[in-house]
Amino acid sequence: MSVAVQLRAASVAVGSKTILGPLDLEVQKGEHLVVIGPSGCGKTTLLRLIAGLARPAGGSVAIGGQTVSEGARLLVPAEKRGIGMLFQDGALWPHMTCAKTLEFVLHHAGIPRAEHAGRVGELLELVELQGFDKRKPGTMSGGEAQRLALARALACNPELILLDEPLGPLDAGLRSSMLARIDEIQRERDLTLIHVTHDPAESEAYTDRTLVMEAGRIRSDLPSEPPSR
Amino acid sequence: MSRPFVITALALYALAGFAPIVAMALRVDLSDLETLLDERTLGLLGRTVMLGGGASTIAVLLGAPFGFLVARTNVPGARVLRPVALVALILPPLFVAITWSALTNLRGAPAAIGILGLHTFPIVAFFTATAFDRIDAGRQEAAQLAGGLRAVLRMELPLVLPAILCGACLAFLFAINDFATPDYISSVGTKFNVYADEVFANYQLQESTGRAVASSLPLVALSLLMLVPALLLRRRGALATVGGNFKRPAPLRLGAWRAPALLFCVAVVTVGSLIPIGRLLYEAGIPGRQAIQAGNDLAGGLSSPSQVPVGSWSLSSLQSAFSVALERTRTDLGNSLIYSVSAGLIAVPIALVLGHLCQRARGGRLLEILFALPMAVPAILFGIGNIAVWNNAVTADFYDSGGLVVMLEVGRFLIFPLLLVTGAVASLSPRLEEAARMAGVPAWKRLTHVVGPTVLPSLLAGWALVFVLAMRELDAAILVPSANHTIIFRVFNQIHFGRDDAVAALCLLVVFFLLLPGLLWSFFGRRRTEVMP
Repeated sequence: MSVAVQLRAASVAVGSKTILGPLDLEVQKGEHLVVIGPSGCGKTTLLRLIAGLARPAGGSVAIGGQTVSEGARLLVPAEKRGIGMLFQDGALWPHMTCAKTLEFVLHHAGIPRAEHAGRVGELLELVELQGFDKRKPGTMSGGEAQRLALARALACNPELILLDEPLGPLDAGLRSSMLARIDEIQRERDLTLIHVTHDPAESEAYTDRTLVMEAGRIRSDLPSEPPSR
Repeated sequence: MSRPFVITALALYALAGFAPIVAMALRVDLSDLETLLDERTLGLLGRTVMLGGGASTIAVLLGAPFGFLVARTNVPGARVLRPVALVALILPPLFVAITWSALTNLRGAPAAIGILGLHTFPIVAFFTATAFDRIDAGRQEAAQLAGGLRAVLRMELPLVLPAILCGACLAFLFAINDFATPDYISSVGTKFNVYADEVFANYQLQESTGRAVASSLPLVALSLLMLVPALLLRRRGALATVGGNFKRPAPLRLGAWRAPALLFCVAVVTVGSLIPIGRLLYEAGIPGRQAIQAGNDLAGGLSSPSQVPVGSWSLSSLQSAFSVALERTRTDLGNSLIYSVSAGLIAVPIALVLGHLCQRARGGRLLEILFALPMAVPAILFGIGNIAVWNNAVTADFYDSGGLVVMLEVGRFLIFPLLLVTGAVASLSPRLEEAARMAGVPAWKRLTHVVGPTVLPSLLAGWALVFVLAMRELDAAILVPSANHTIIFRVFNQIHFGRDDAVAALCLLVVFFLLLPGLLWSFFGRRRTEVMP
C-alpha cells in the first residue's frame, strides 16, 4: 500500500497564533479516514492545508509522494494538486446548469471537448442525476445538490477526495444513502477519502480509521472496527 | 488572484484616476500656498461646509425615514416608491435648481442647500433601506419577544446607523463637489460662491493650476474626512447584518400612521423629482420664452396674471420644442451617448478586478480607501488635472478627442461600480471560487466564469451608474475642450444664455436617457440587483 497523503510537522497559523499542528499524519492510498472533533479544533483547517487552500506555517505536506508544500512555501498550488473536494455548503456555481458545471471542470482537466457530452452523462449517472443536465442548483433539493457536488469533485478523476462535512444539511435518510453511494464509488475507483464530520456515527460503517482532533492537534488515531461492508 | 488582470486594471486606473491628481500636486509651489488660510479661503471653506452639512442634514431627515418606511413597513406602494425615489438622484441637480428657482423665490444659500439636499436624499434612503433589508427575521423576532416594538427599534437602530451615516457622508461629498447648482443659484440671485465655482473662476481668470490646487486643499482634506469614515462604516454595516439562513421579516404594521407615512413618501418623491420634471414639461409645451419669463416674474413677486401673459400649453408646442431641441443637439447627444456607454464598458471590467481584489486580498480595506481617492478630489480640480496631464504636444490629438472625456469619466466614476462589486463579492461565499480552484480553473477564469456571472446584477448596476453619471458629467468636464460637444454642456450653456421651450425639451431628453437604464431594468431585469451593503 502506498502513501496518499503525508504531513510532517505541518502547521497553520493566523498571525502569530498557531491554529493547527504541528502534526504528523499518513493516509494510505485507498483508505477512508474520518476526522472528528469539537467545533474549532482544526478539522476543516487540516483539509484546507492538504487542499492548498490554507497557507502552511511550517512542516511539509506531500501528496502521492510529491511534496506540495515545504515550510511556508506552497510548491504546488491548489488548482494543480488534482484533488476533489466536497464543501459543507456544496459551493455550487449558481449560474451554471449541471451539465455546464461538469463541462467546465472537464475542460480544465484537459478532456477534449468531443468527449464532454459522454463524460457528463457518465458522471450524472454515477451520482444518480440522470436527466438533470439543464437544471441549475437553485432548482435542486439539498441531496441532489450534494450529489452534483460529488460529481463535480469526481470529474477530473482525482485519487484523493476531501469531504468537509458535506452531508451536514441533509436528513438522516439522505445522509446514509449518500454515504453508501460515496463508499461504492470509493471502492470502484480505489479512491482515498478524508472525511471531516461532526457525527462519527454517520460514517462508522464505512471508515477504515478515525482521527480525533482537539485544539489543533491529533488526540487519537485509531483503526475503526472491521467495516460492515 | 490573476496577476496580469490585476496589473492591467491597476495601470488603467492609475492612468485615468491618479495621473491627474499627481499632475496637479506637482504643479503646486510654496507661493501658491500663501493664500491657503487667508480670510477669503476660510470664508469659502465655511460656506462649502455649510452647503455640505446642510444638504446632508436634509438628506438624512428625508432619506432615513423614507428608507425605513419603504423597506420595513406596510406603507402602500413601497415597491413603486422605492425605485421612484432614485429619480431625484438621477436628475441633474441643475435641472432641479432651474425649476425650483422658477417656482419659488428661494435664493442664495438656502436654495443651494435645499436643492442639493433633495438631490442627495435618495443616497441616504437607499443605504437605510438596504441596511433594513439585511436584518434577519430571527433577530427581529427575538427582540420582539424580549420587549416589543421598542426593543425591535433599539436592536435595529445600531445595525442601520452605520448605513445612515455612510449615506450622509456620501451626500456631503456629492453636495460639496457640485459646481453647476451654486453657479446657477448665484446667477439668478444673491451670490453664493463655494469652493467648486471659486476654483473654476480662479482657473479661468488666472489659468494658474497651482493656485487652483492650493486653494482647494482644505476641501480635499474635508472630503477625505468624510470619505474614510463612509467607507469604513459601509463595511461595518455589511458585516453587522449578514446572516447565514436569511429570512426576511414581516413588514411592521403602521396602523393609523399608514396614511401620514404614505403622504410623507409621496411628498418627498414629488418635491424631489416629479415637480421638476412636471415643470420642464410645462415649459417645453409653451412656445418661446413665455413660461420661463412668467416663472421668473412669479419667483420675483410679480404674480398678477395681467403682468405675466402666458400662452397656453399644447401638445403641438411640446412636439415642436422637441424637434427643435433634437435638431440643435443631435451631434452632442450622440457624443454623450457614445462617451457614456464607453465609459461604463471600460469601467466595469476594471471594477470587477479591483473590487474583487479589495474584498479578497489582504489589506483590501486600505486598498478600497486608496481607490476612492479620486472621489475626494473636487471634480473641477480633477478636470484641471486631466488638462495638466494631456494638454501637451505629444498627446495633443488625444486631448482634442472624445477619448479624453471617456478617460476622465472612467477616472471619476470607477469607484461606484467598484464599491458595488466589493459589496456583491462580500456576500459571495469564497467556497465558490475555492471549488473552481480545486477543479483546476486558473485565476483569471475564476474571475470571468465564476465571480463575474454571479455578481452580474452588480456589474449591470455599475455600468448603469457610470452611464448616468457620465451622461450628466459637467463638474469636471466643464474646462475640457473636447467635452464642449456633449449634451449636458449644451444644456448648461443654453440655460445661462438663451433658455426657452426647446431648452426645457432638451432637459427632458437628457432626463429620458438618464432614466432609460432604470426603465429597461424594470422591464427586462428579472433578478434583484445586489447593491452596496
